[in-house]
Amino acid sequence: MLVIDDLLVRPFVSLLDILQTMALEELYDVDRIRDDLKETQLLYEIGELDEEEYRRRRTDLEEQLELAEQVREDLTSGKIEVKN
Amino acid sequence: MTGDHLYVYGIVEDEELELDVEGVGGAERIYTVTTGGLSAVVSDIDTTDPERTTEAMEAHDGVLKAVLEDRTVVPMSFGMAFKDERTLRNVLGGGKRAFRKALDEVEGTVELGVKLVGDADADLRRDPVREEARDRLEPIAVDVVGNDLFSDRLLVNDSYLVDRDDRVAFDEAVGALEQDLDGVVVQYTGPFAPYNFVDIHIGAEQ
Repeated sequence: MLVIDDLLVRPFVSLLDILQTMALEELYDVDRIRDDLKETQLLYEIGELDEEEYRRRRTDLEEQLELAEQVREDLTSGKIEVKN
Repeated sequence: MTGDHLYVYGIVEDEELELDVEGVGGAERIYTVTTGGLSAVVSDIDTTDPERTTEAMEAHDGVLKAVLEDRTVVPMSFGMAFKDERTLRNVLGGGKRAFRKALDEVEGTVELGVKLVGDADADLRRDPVREEARDRLEPIAVDVVGNDLFSDRLLVNDSYLVDRDDRVAFDEAVGALEQDLDGVVVQYTGPFAPYNFVDIHIGAEQ
C-alpha cells in the first residue's frame, strides 16, 4: 500500500515530506506525461529521434501514464489511504 | 465489421457519397445519410460507444481526409455514434441551423497546422518568433487559433484556416518563413478538416 503524508494536517512539515510529496506529484502527473508523449512524437516527426529511440521513449511513457492514471483513480476512489 | 448503429465522421453539403477507405471499427463502406440539404458521412458500427484507440482515431481522421479532398466538411470529434438512422436524422434535423452555419463558415477552406520547434541548443524566445509567423501567415489566412504549447521546445503551435484558392501562396509563405528563421524547424501539416474552427457539440449520443 502506498502511504502519502498529508501535509495540510501536520503542524510541522519536514523538508523530506515536501520532497516526497513533490516527487509523487511529478511521478503521477498525468498531464505532464501526456505532454511528454506529444513532445516525443513531435521530435520523432521532425527527425530528431530515430525510430528505435522514439519507440523506447513512447513505451516508457505509456507505461508511466497507465500507472499514473491508476494511482489517480485509486486516490479518488479511496483505495489508497492518506495517513498523517 | 458491420453493425446496426451509425458512426458519424462529419457533415457535408447534400451529396450522395461512397468512399473506399477503411472506417472506425474496420468498416468497409463509407456513405452518406441526407436530411434537409445536409449529408452526414457515416459507416456502420456495432457499438454506440466506440473505444478511443489509436487505430480508431486514425481511421476517423483518414475518412475525413478522404472526404475533404473534394469538398468542405464540418468534422465531428471522435466517438459520435448513433443508435440507428432515424436517431441520426432527428439529430441532423434538430441541429440543422447550427450545422448549416458551421458549414457556411468553413466553406471552401482547409485547416493547416504550423508548428515551430526551436533547436535543442537554440536560446529562442517565443513571442518574437510567434509574431514573425503570424505577421507573415495571418494575412493569407481566413482565421488562426493558437494551440497548446505542450513542450518547451515548441515555440509556436498554430492552426490556420485557409481558402483552398490561397493554398499555394500559404505554402510559399511557410517555406519562406522556415528559410528566414534561424534555429527553428517548421512542421507544416494538413490539410485537415477544420476541427479548430467549428464548435458543434451533440448532446445525446443515442
